[in-house]
Amino acid sequence: MAVDAQRPTARAATTSRPRPKREREEEVLVWPDLVFIEFIAAVLFTITFLILSVMINAPLLNRANPDVTPNPSKAPWYFLNLQELLLHMDKAWAGVLLPTIALGFFASIPYIDRSRGGQGVWFGTKYSVRLAVVAAVYTVFVLGLLVAFDAGEDSRFEYATRWVPSCDNAAEHAGLPCLKDQEGAAHTGFITMKDISKRLQFSIPFPKIFGTSAGDIEEGSGDEVLTKDGWLDWPEDVDKIPVPFNNFSCCYGSLHLWEGMNLNLASIMAEQVLPLLTIAFFTILILYALFRIGWLRTKRDVFIVMFTAVVTIYFALSLVGSFFRGEAQALIWPWEVKVDEG
Amino acid sequence: MAVTEEPGKPRNWSERIQALQDRVYSAIFHNYVWQSVFRSGYPNTPRNQMLVVATNVFLHLHPTRIHKTHVKITHTYCLGGLTFFMFLVLTVTGILLMFYYVPSVERAYQDIAALETNVKFGLLMRNMHRWTAHAMVILVFLHMMRVFYTGAYKPPREFNWVVGVILLVLTLVLSFTGYLLPWDQLALWAVTVGHGIGGSAPYFGDETQLIVFGGFEIGPNALIRFYTLHVIALPLIAAIFMAVHFWRIRRDGGMARPL
Ligand code: HEM
Repeated sequence: MAVDAQRPTARAATTSRPRPKREREEEVLVWPDLVFIEFIAAVLFTITFLILSVMINAPLLNRANPDVTPNPSKAPWYFLNLQELLLHMDKAWAGVLLPTIALGFFASIPYIDRSRGGQGVWFGTKYSVRLAVVAAVYTVFVLGLLVAFDAGEDSRFEYATRWVPSCDNAAEHAGLPCLKDQEGAAHTGFITMKDISKRLQFSIPFPKIFGTSAGDIEEGSGDEVLTKDGWLDWPEDVDKIPVPFNNFSCCYGSLHLWEGMNLNLASIMAEQVLPLLTIAFFTILILYALFRIGWLRTKRDVFIVMFTAVVTIYFALSLVGSFFRGEAQALIWPWEVKVDEG
Repeated sequence: MAVTEEPGKPRNWSERIQALQDRVYSAIFHNYVWQSVFRSGYPNTPRNQMLVVATNVFLHLHPTRIHKTHVKITHTYCLGGLTFFMFLVLTVTGILLMFYYVPSVERAYQDIAALETNVKFGLLMRNMHRWTAHAMVILVFLHMMRVFYTGAYKPPREFNWVVGVILLVLTLVLSFTGYLLPWDQLALWAVTVGHGIGGSAPYFGDETQLIVFGGFEIGPNALIRFYTLHVIALPLIAAIFMAVHFWRIRRDGGMARPL
């Protein structure tokens, strides 16, 4: 009893959980008012899906065959957005880290926006409707640009960067920036961001650093550190930067995760830093612009913009994946989509 | 004075029809068998209407009263309720599909093909299961959006929002594990894409592939794992979280409305 009597005070001391007061005259009975609506909704949905199921059959293709890969192979639509991201950035970010961050972002919303105002009504703040609309339109627009930009051989962007010269494969150091082409193939500009680590080459004079002398280290062993010949060649000299203590093996052997780990700075730049900076840039840009106009006033407003953007990205990229990706994930128009089922 | 209150013989036609109606009504609803099933008649007084909600095993998920703004369709568009309804339809159709389906690489595809052609309403059941599954994914997203834009995650509903996020993930994973089961080309290669995505997890890529998919390619191990997750583990977990979700709505003082 004593415990019970103390509970309210202990509770109030920590936080008071707000609850709207119950005014009986404003309430209706669940039976019949709510139960009736639920019943009608359930019946309507049952009928709709019965009709739909009579009219459209679920797909059943040929028996699974591990030797025959359909081109393109696509994930279910609700994961196609991740598959789309995979085309543009490092797979760990696209497939695991960004989705995890997005879910963490969702879960954290109520713990960051703790205001109580505006709950229980649609679009509770002054500008929230236009914030949501602007955020959705802006996101679609930016995504469209980025997808077209990182699009592959036929894109405008590739065309616009053809002036970057083709690399001379015989030269020891590339010198000015150039793009490596396949032997005998026609010269192309930047096809994707990934070309920054795969095809772009340049070299700058650079002092020998980390005191590595060529003699100590086996050529091609992966142990060379940065520059040994007075030139820093992109990407060869930066694609195997050893992590500190990566050969640290003492008593406990290889306990740490970075045992033997080298960083590929070139691909980190192309597939992690640049894509993430792009995302950060466009996010900050819209938030800053809306803040300057004066539409963005509270944390709730910031979340309205960001939540709308994340949900829009989710659905828009799924649409791109469903209707605009053809063989080998090339960017195409919806009426050109055909699947080679093998 | 007392004449009208006496339950005398009906005197005109409309009273006779009324009397007949009453007799038919009580023959149906007041007979011995019916009353053994339903402990009370149609709840036609407010008191009985609250009692039926509070005491009926299916209805007691609801409170007995609800604020009048919340029964407006445009407040929730019934989205959470419909998500739950899709879950129920999926359970029913899913159980019917289980009668005919064996999760082995040799039989799975054959069973689905046979279900479509040899089983009465088999194709209909499969179609229902497929389309309501897609609908559930869409509805759960729409529900989340309605909760967000009505600010219903705000105190004291923070935790129920988190329960919701967990339900969102569970819905997606439920749908994904079901995708493999027909064992056709669509299933195999879609899940192979997912397998690749799982394998790209930093540090735990290999472990993810081994534990979740049962190997470095999609084969019998993946099929039996996905089946078990899809028909037992995930529905059970989802049902538990849904129970918590619904319970919390009431503990948090009903649905959100302006303070
Ligand atoms: C399987 C998935 C889910 C089911 C079956 C479900 C079911 C429901 C139902 C029936 C309601 C009552 C009001 C309504 O119909 O809108 C509700 C409310 C609520 N749901 Fe869900 N939900 C699910 C997923 C989610 C998700 C993904 C979120 C958010 C991330 C969420 C957050 C909430 C919150 C905060 C409320 C209280 C709303 C208010 O007070 O107005 N739920 N849910």
